[in-house]
Amino acid sequence: MSSNNNTDRQSLELVLRGISKRFGDVVALEPSDLVVKPGVLLSLLGPSGCGKTTTLRVIAGFEAADTGSVLIGGKDVTLLPPNKRGLGMVFQNYSLFPHMTVADNVAFGLRMEKASEQEIKRRVGEMLDLVQLPGVEKRFPNQLSGGQQQRIALARSLVTNPSVLLLDEPLGALDKNLRETMQFELRRIQNTLGITTILVTHDQEEALTLSDQVVVMDQGRFQQIGTPSEVYESPETRFVSEFLGTSNLLSGDISAPTDSDDRKVTLQYGEVKTVIESPGAPSIPAGPATIAIRPEKIVLSKRSPEMRNVLQGIVKGHVFRGSYHAYEISVAGRDDPIFVYDQAGERSTDAVHPIGSGVYLTWKRENSVVLRD
Amino acid sequence: MTDQVRRGTSRGFSGVVSPWWIAVTALFLVVFFVIPIINNLLNTDQLVTLAKQRPASFYYEKLFTDPYYLGIVADTVTLSVGVTVICIIIGYPVALFLVRHAGRWSGLVIFLLIAPLLTSIIMRTFGWRVLFARRGLLNDFLLWIDAIEKPILFLNGPTSAVIGLVHVLVPFMVLSIASVLRSIDLQLEESARILGASRFKTFLKVTFPLSLDGIGTGFIIVFLLANGSFVTLLLLGGGELKTLPLLIYQQFTISRDFQFAAAMSNVLLAIAVGCLYLQLRLIKRKGVKG
Repeated sequence: MSSNNNTDRQSLELVLRGISKRFGDVVALEPSDLVVKPGVLLSLLGPSGCGKTTTLRVIAGFEAADTGSVLIGGKDVTLLPPNKRGLGMVFQNYSLFPHMTVADNVAFGLRMEKASEQEIKRRVGEMLDLVQLPGVEKRFPNQLSGGQQQRIALARSLVTNPSVLLLDEPLGALDKNLRETMQFELRRIQNTLGITTILVTHDQEEALTLSDQVVVMDQGRFQQIGTPSEVYESPETRFVSEFLGTSNLLSGDISAPTDSDDRKVTLQYGEVKTVIESPGAPSIPAGPATIAIRPEKIVLSKRSPEMRNVLQGIVKGHVFRGSYHAYEISVAGRDDPIFVYDQAGERSTDAVHPIGSGVYLTWKRENSVVLRD
Repeated sequence: MTDQVRRGTSRGFSGVVSPWWIAVTALFLVVFFVIPIINNLLNTDQLVTLAKQRPASFYYEKLFTDPYYLGIVADTVTLSVGVTVICIIIGYPVALFLVRHAGRWSGLVIFLLIAPLLTSIIMRTFGWRVLFARRGLLNDFLLWIDAIEKPILFLNGPTSAVIGLVHVLVPFMVLSIASVLRSIDLQLEESARILGASRFKTFLKVTFPLSLDGIGTGFIIVFLLANGSFVTLLLLGGGELKTLPLLIYQQFTISRDFQFAAAMSNVLLAIAVGCLYLQLRLIKRKGVKG
């Protein structure tokens, strides 16, 4: 990529081994392991206080981990200060130096490396082209819009060819439209450079859109690690299932695991027993279990369908949300309503199933996900 | 709440707050401060003195052409700048410690800084006289460790005056630098660190330049206070060191040349107003920047 070979250290593997961190009595991060393959964009996703920022700060070297080690490209950097780790980082509030021009901001890392002024000029120009903001060298950060400042912050963090790029809620301060544009932009730049990237976010949509891999965090633990579709379609825990969008949770009794990839779950609502089917989940023992079903996976019909997983209910509420109808359906004997999202298609904005009408709810076997609590 | 107060004001006497409430204060200031200053500015030559009547320009000419008086104006400014620079050198590390490292002790540090301001300036200055006296604590100590053979005369010279002034004025410098340091986003320093800057480089390239506004404000406050200081210089300088305030005092009490004193006080006032104008410019520039 760069002609300057000794600073070219892109696409390295990042490994966390048994990293943990406490602040006084508060456990910010339980001992955790993580391997991020070279060139992968991995998100740390979770609510505030889940330990995602602490994890990032440990990688950056701003916090010393209590236990464990951080390896970048196989080299142990646990004891190195932040300025010796060869990382790039973008902060939520951009954190551009207000007393320097854009050019000086972007050049900061190169000046620290004592690059020649000629090299600096060339690299700064390259970076501003990469973030599609050529010609702003002489301006000051406060003369740029939020989105532009974010691009400059990205350019500044990439100019030294860091081995790993750290993004701390980089799009959090932007408004919704700009955020979506910047998501594509960020992904394009990350793909172009092929740089190993860690993204911290509390926005599940952002994590699912941008990442190759998602780590869902809660209470200082890595709850689940997987591709966006893995964590969305097959959440392993109740937390993951609820944090990533709306989920209907059904409690029931699950049958013993069998050789075939099939489990039967008995739901008891009042007097009525319903048996539904779900995929194997061999690690879950027989007994009480929770099943999660996404609202958009449930199909509503007026007549009893010819399928296995069927519940009967009455429409209690309806809202039209632009691209879909959201129904709230009560099932006799069950306290919580079940939510169903029905694609609007070319139909009108009126509910197909008016409030008060009886409906049947069905879903495919593979869409019931057995959760580990 | 604010709306209610505003409406109350427009309705007159039923309002809780009325602009008329400041009338007493305003009247007091006009009678005892504004009018005398204007009078002083306009009528330097009409003050009744024992000396011969001369036009105002004579006294300004004397002040700015006579090498003796010009020297005193220069000495005053030099002393103030010197004291201010020493205050920056001593105050900056204290401010940095207060903001970055004092943590839960920062309350105590601020108390220690402000506490001396609560005692009279005369008391504090007399304290230095006791320490610096010919047979005072400092000389006794130096004699005891055999650093010197006979007592040094610290008092009644520029050294003791400068030490006294720095002691009195350094809290102002610390507080104005600390308030700006506190407003610097720590993430800016972290950004510099991750970009490869050592702690020292980070301070040099990021923290220090961003705190220049605080140094500027502190500079003007301390410079003005040093410029107008009188008691400390009278008690510690002992007549060796002459500045404009001391000279004004002398003109009043010894020479009885009220007109010359008035001219000098106008020059001192002009310096102060000039400095305040600079400070205003500094704040305005900051406002535009932010």
